[in-house]
Amino acid sequence: MTCRLYEEQLSSYLDGELPAVRAARLEAHLKVCPHCREELDALGGIATRIRAASSQLEVSHDFDRRVLWAVGYWQVKGWQRPVRSYLRPLLLAAMFLLAMLGAIWHFFTRPTGPEWQPQPAAAVVAPAAPGAPAPVAPTRKDR
Amino acid sequence: MEEAVRTGTWSVDGRLATADDAALVIACARQEPGAFQELLSRYRRPAVTLAYQMMGDPEEAEDVAQEAFVRVFQAIPRFRGQAAFSTWLYRIVTNLCLGRRRRKKVTVELDAVREPRAADSPSRTVTEALVTRQALDAMTPGLRAILLLRDQEGLSYTEIAEALRLPLGTVRSRLSKARMSFRQIWKKLSEVGEGLS
Repeated sequence: MTCRLYEEQLSSYLDGELPAVRAARLEAHLKVCPHCREELDALGGIATRIRAASSQLEVSHDFDRRVLWAVGYWQVKGWQRPVRSYLRPLLLAAMFLLAMLGAIWHFFTRPTGPEWQPQPAAAVVAPAAPGAPAPVAPTRKDR
Repeated sequence: MEEAVRTGTWSVDGRLATADDAALVIACARQEPGAFQELLSRYRRPAVTLAYQMMGDPEEAEDVAQEAFVRVFQAIPRFRGQAAFSTWLYRIVTNLCLGRRRRKKVTVELDAVREPRAADSPSRTVTEALVTRQALDAMTPGLRAILLLRDQEGLSYTEIAEALRLPLGTVRSRLSKARMSFRQIWKKLSEVGEGLS
């Protein structure tokens, strides 16, 4: 068996996933092959490298809050109460329905008839001539 | 309490804090207050880290993780517990990342790799982290996912098979291929880096 074929088994061997017979054969090869031993060490170091690459990653302090808002949790002092996902569209539909009902009610109950026709604009009162008595508002008695 | 709520670091009921994931999932499906927060606090970092390693951008990683948790929350009443919660979550994160990358067709150059938000770091550590990130980015998304689920998140072969819906034999061969690929790319990049410095 060539080194290439052994190399393909190194990953499974590293994870203890290689069947016993093949693992024994590989171990025998590793004793005499420095190249494959080096490969095995290198593969074993990958997990460390990968974990180190993200070890300094910091999650934003408001991450949880953003998630909770996104899923519809709302804060009640002391505990969190979930707003079911179907409630929001239901609420919107109810608001829309109310608006429609309001519009219909307004349409049918709006005042109609001649007394509600737009009144003509009030006649412009000509300015009084100099010396003429000032116009007096009609009193109850005049009617 | 109010301060803790404001900063998003409130603690939950002690009973929930000691419950295992399966119990928390059930509590969550029953809408017990605090259950979802506990799952969130346990898996916040692993989810963001996995997404970061897949996407290479800490902000996008948080977006992906946030979307994954929203999907978890919406689907948890239908979660039957056939796989571990973590496997399910990682599958969602991985699929979201693969989808985003497919849409964006990301090509990341070494200079373009954004470092995670970090305090003062030794430059060698940062350089190694960048080389590792670039090596991950140079891999195909499928191989990267399998490598991260094993070497970042420590999933077993069976869990990876469940998460990626692959046969066990395929997981074994692809993981071997992924590690060899990472090793070759990393070696090449390290040589280039040493040549430049």
